[in-house]
Amino acid sequence: MPQIRKDPLVNRWVIVATERARRPASFNDSIPTDTPVDQCPFCTGKETNLIEQYDEIRVLHSINPLFNPEGGFEKSRHGLYDVVNNCGAHELVLETQDHVANIADFSLQSIAHVLKVYAKRIDIHRQNPLIEYVLAYKNYGVAAGSRAIGHARSQIMAIPVNPVRVHNKVIGAKRYYESHERCLMCDLVRQEIKDGRRIVSMNQDFIAIVPFAARFPFEVTIIPRFHHHDYALSLSGHEDQLAQIMKDVLTRYKKYLNDPAYNYMIQTAPFKAMATIQDEYHWHIEIIPRLTRVAGFERGTGFYISPIPSEMAAGYLKEE
Amino acid sequence: MPELRRDPVVERWTLIEVATSKPATQYHREKKALQNPDICPFCPTKEHLTPSEVAAVRLDNSQPNTPGWSVRTFPNKFPALADREYLNKEGLGIYDVMSGVGAHELIIETPPHQQQMADLNDSEMSLLMRHYQERFIHLAKDKRFKYVMLFKNKGLSAGSTMEHAHGQLIALPMVPKYVLEEIHGADHYYQINKRCVFCDIVAQEVQDKERIVVENEKFIAFCPFASRYAFETWILPKNHGHDFAKADQATLDQLGAILQRVLKQMKSTLGDCAYNFYLHTSPNNWGDLPYFHWHIEVIPKLTRSVGFEWGTGLHIVPTDPAMAARELRDNS
Repeated sequence: MPQIRKDPLVNRWVIVATERARRPASFNDSIPTDTPVDQCPFCTGKETNLIEQYDEIRVLHSINPLFNPEGGFEKSRHGLYDVVNNCGAHELVLETQDHVANIADFSLQSIAHVLKVYAKRIDIHRQNPLIEYVLAYKNYGVAAGSRAIGHARSQIMAIPVNPVRVHNKVIGAKRYYESHERCLMCDLVRQEIKDGRRIVSMNQDFIAIVPFAARFPFEVTIIPRFHHHDYALSLSGHEDQLAQIMKDVLTRYKKYLNDPAYNYMIQTAPFKAMATIQDEYHWHIEIIPRLTRVAGFERGTGFYISPIPSEMAAGYLKEE
Repeated sequence: MPELRRDPVVERWTLIEVATSKPATQYHREKKALQNPDICPFCPTKEHLTPSEVAAVRLDNSQPNTPGWSVRTFPNKFPALADREYLNKEGLGIYDVMSGVGAHELIIETPPHQQQMADLNDSEMSLLMRHYQERFIHLAKDKRFKYVMLFKNKGLSAGSTMEHAHGQLIALPMVPKYVLEEIHGADHYYQINKRCVFCDIVAQEVQDKERIVVENEKFIAFCPFASRYAFETWILPKNHGHDFAKADQATLDQLGAILQRVLKQMKSTLGDCAYNFYLHTSPNNWGDLPYFHWHIEVIPKLTRSVGFEWGTGLHIVPTDPAMAARELRDNS
């Protein structure tokens, strides 16, 4: 019998179609593609628009920026519609000088370095009062929306408006804190450790779980076991542990899901609300393997139909 | 240069590449995976391969589960939700769970395997809309269900594995998040302006003209100012109405006509692309809602969502809605 589960943070329901569960290999039908190395625009020496170099990691302006650091902030209206211009920033983080596609194949030290660069870029954009949010994220593989170039990279987007998905998480976190005087994610971490069935990986500072109400098969959330609302402000001292758990999860994807496309997104607290949500909000990283397609039901309702229960997905990812 | 636009109903920002807009021809076309009609369980004479029908349009008075139907509805063999009597709710620590009680029906929209909704004529569309409404009303009467979601997936990348034209109904034990967000946004607007925000959108779109795809006496189809997807098209009744179930036959006739036009124009502009559409209407037994306005949203599947969209909820739209509407109009 199918089950309907609710995500406690954003009140989103997910239908878990237990009777349709499939083996993990049967999800991934995308074939990894690549350009020849000599045509890679991201290998050393061919990059343009360099902003800053952090040892082997280079940060560039995107060639087709969606947000632009030039010019000020302009608001206008068109009848009942509101418009603002795209002030902000859109940066590309080239994670390696070598033509390596998947960050899962990096050394722990190199991954930790990439994670530190995210924090540095977030802190730089934080100083611009027009910026409401900075998202550090990765599209890996064509099905995840990336161009077919096998050179590991991620993106930093600084935006001048409220990101609705993070905003909904802030609202959920505040609502929970008001009734319990405790952080929801701290409670969630305690319950997940006690339960154990949805844990994919765990170390001293972090836990990686398949969320109870996962939207997608093999979706994973990495949550710090310490409370902090801001990724960049709290990374220091934890970067090696975060690198270890990221590498572990992404290597498990590669091994058990046949090198799928994936996205990951760092969900840190929005800047403007910061002073008031330090106790309530708890930063985390969402990782979504792109194995299924979003259809009319999901688009129309905002609810998801997951073809595999979270416990079973975590079980497959834990297989030795 | 891209610009950020805000949807006036749910106040959701979207990023539209206005200056460097991408025309229809530059989108990747899905390779059509042709299915062998001989093994299609939705074709006439294969009725025994599906669960028993619960309703059908049979103009020749033929027997249930035999050929002769024009539209045929049966429960999904692989339902997302099961039709059980008891709705069991429980809390597991900080988590909430309920049993998956609901209904999931498939509506086969036309007998010929290759025929798409875009190919139907006005009288076939009229019969189909009437049938959609009858099934919707039937499921909405069930006290266990709070909302009935009517939707369609066409094409593999829109999530459909079956080629034969079909729509779906899923009856849910709770009101969908997106519908609630629209209702809350519309209620908020109504409290300030004392007008329905959707009626105001219709008025502005009629005045602006540039985003209109097609209109008829009772409906307007347009690419929304703050679209989330390239070539996204909404169909709104021109007159205020909160409940699809209350639409009369004349309205259903016009709905069928405009929906078919939109799909036909998409087919000729975007080369038989995959798409989804779904109906947003007032939840079951909510009474009259002066601020809510039922409508259909049609979304061609042309792009892949990226990490930025998952992480922020801001959509990136490569085509200006005015350009999309113009291209769709030019192909009528």
